[in-house]
Amino acid sequence: MTSFAVILAQAGRWQRFVQDYWLILLPVALAFVAVYWLLPQARGARPLWGALVGAAALIAGSIILVHSQAIWVETLLFYIFAGLAVVGGVFLITQRNPVHAALSFAMVVLATCGLFLLQAAPFLMAATIIVYAGAIVVTFLFVIMLAQQAGLSNADAHSREPFLASVAGFVLLSALVCVLHKSYDATRWNAFLDKVARASQGQSMSEISAALGDPKTFIDDFGQFVEGDRILPTDPPTHAGMDRNALADALQDLEMLVWAKTPEPQAVAKKLEQIHELGRRVRYYQGSLQPSAKLKLSQQSGTPPNADFPAGAAERWLPAQNVAGLGKSLLGDHLLAVELAAVLLLVAPIGAIAIAGRRAEDMR
Amino acid sequence: MNPMTLESYLVVGAILFALGAVGFITRRNMIIMFLSVEMMLQGVALNLVAFARYRGNLGGQVFTLFILTVAACEAAVALALILMLYRRKKSLDVSLWQELREPGQEPIIDQEPLPPAPPPAPLPHLTPAGPEPARKEAETSHV
Repeated sequence: MTSFAVILAQAGRWQRFVQDYWLILLPVALAFVAVYWLLPQARGARPLWGALVGAAALIAGSIILVHSQAIWVETLLFYIFAGLAVVGGVFLITQRNPVHAALSFAMVVLATCGLFLLQAAPFLMAATIIVYAGAIVVTFLFVIMLAQQAGLSNADAHSREPFLASVAGFVLLSALVCVLHKSYDATRWNAFLDKVARASQGQSMSEISAALGDPKTFIDDFGQFVEGDRILPTDPPTHAGMDRNALADALQDLEMLVWAKTPEPQAVAKKLEQIHELGRRVRYYQGSLQPSAKLKLSQQSGTPPNADFPAGAAERWLPAQNVAGLGKSLLGDHLLAVELAAVLLLVAPIGAIAIAGRRAEDMR
Repeated sequence: MNPMTLESYLVVGAILFALGAVGFITRRNMIIMFLSVEMMLQGVALNLVAFARYRGNLGGQVFTLFILTVAACEAAVALALILMLYRRKKSLDVSLWQELREPGQEPIIDQEPLPPAPPPAPLPHLTPAGPEPARKEAETSHV
């Protein structure tokens, strides 16, 4: 009872939470209903309605949860692969026939490999396909050997507690999605920085003011946004904190320049360019915990963890030297882990043979 | 520039992870449970690769390679265990292993089990064509 009273006392906070996040929770709730209706169960399974609600959830999620900065081929490929992966995942957990489930798992793996390739990891894509191709073939053999002898069984046709299990899984998912949205949503940053970029192209004060809207309110809003951003404080000094302070100072300078008796467009435009550069860097730190700048970590796996990034460095660097960088990193930074993985790969098959090699008659 | 934000990839990874969790909790076929766990691993690998791209750093991709290694070992041991459990009970249903539950817990019994499978249709008998050859006693015993 006491815990119930505590929950009631928090009702206001719950209401605010729902008000803030209902748009994000909508596709998750739809997906919950869809998966619950699709799961195999004795009664309450509605495959057709489940499929319809699932399609609605997929479309809502692709509009609300996924943010794209431009419509490129990569965006299209992302939607295709991500959609295939999610649909394959739903098929995997809702198919009654284990053979279909194994096929869906193959679809999930292939779609994930496509996403790896989009993220500049060609070696990982190839390795995953090779490793999981073997795993899936073996799983297929097992399904055909063990599961296909007696047709549909109770184990396949009835899930255990499908409602409670779906609640558990989707509460986890909504928590993850809310935290991700809170930490990584860059929509407001992009809006501010776009305005600054447009204004810095202006030749005269009137053009700059037109691009910024009302300069006074813009600077106030941007300043408050920068102050309220969740970035580590400047003590101990971090790159993120120093950049944030520099950005706040630059905004104050801009205010002075704009409200001078005779504002100079060149100086204002130059300050705006500086603000854009600083803002781009601070936006980069959004939601990332920066290690201390004094910390010396490895140089082998590409850029050190606390390096400053010139624009687009990662995009240029990562795909071109993927395999070489992976080799350096594996045999430089992670040599001990590689040796341990080798030991694990040796021990696991021995254990598997020891477990599976015994005959059933011997165990009795 | 990368047109897709980091958040998008992380959301896909979270969805795969949560779906795998639901499948692992609720399905009763051991092979499907195993596949669900593999799907959770895929979600985590996607997260790590996304962060590798975001940081311009190969640490995440190296972690994913180790995930692949551990997943291969896990598959070998898990399938061996599934095979052994199958040999004991002649079924992949995890509910048959309920005697491993905590003391004091009620067993879970299917409320509406499937109707028993109909007996297999009798195989057609072929009438022998031509005269039947005479057999010895020892041969007829195991026909």
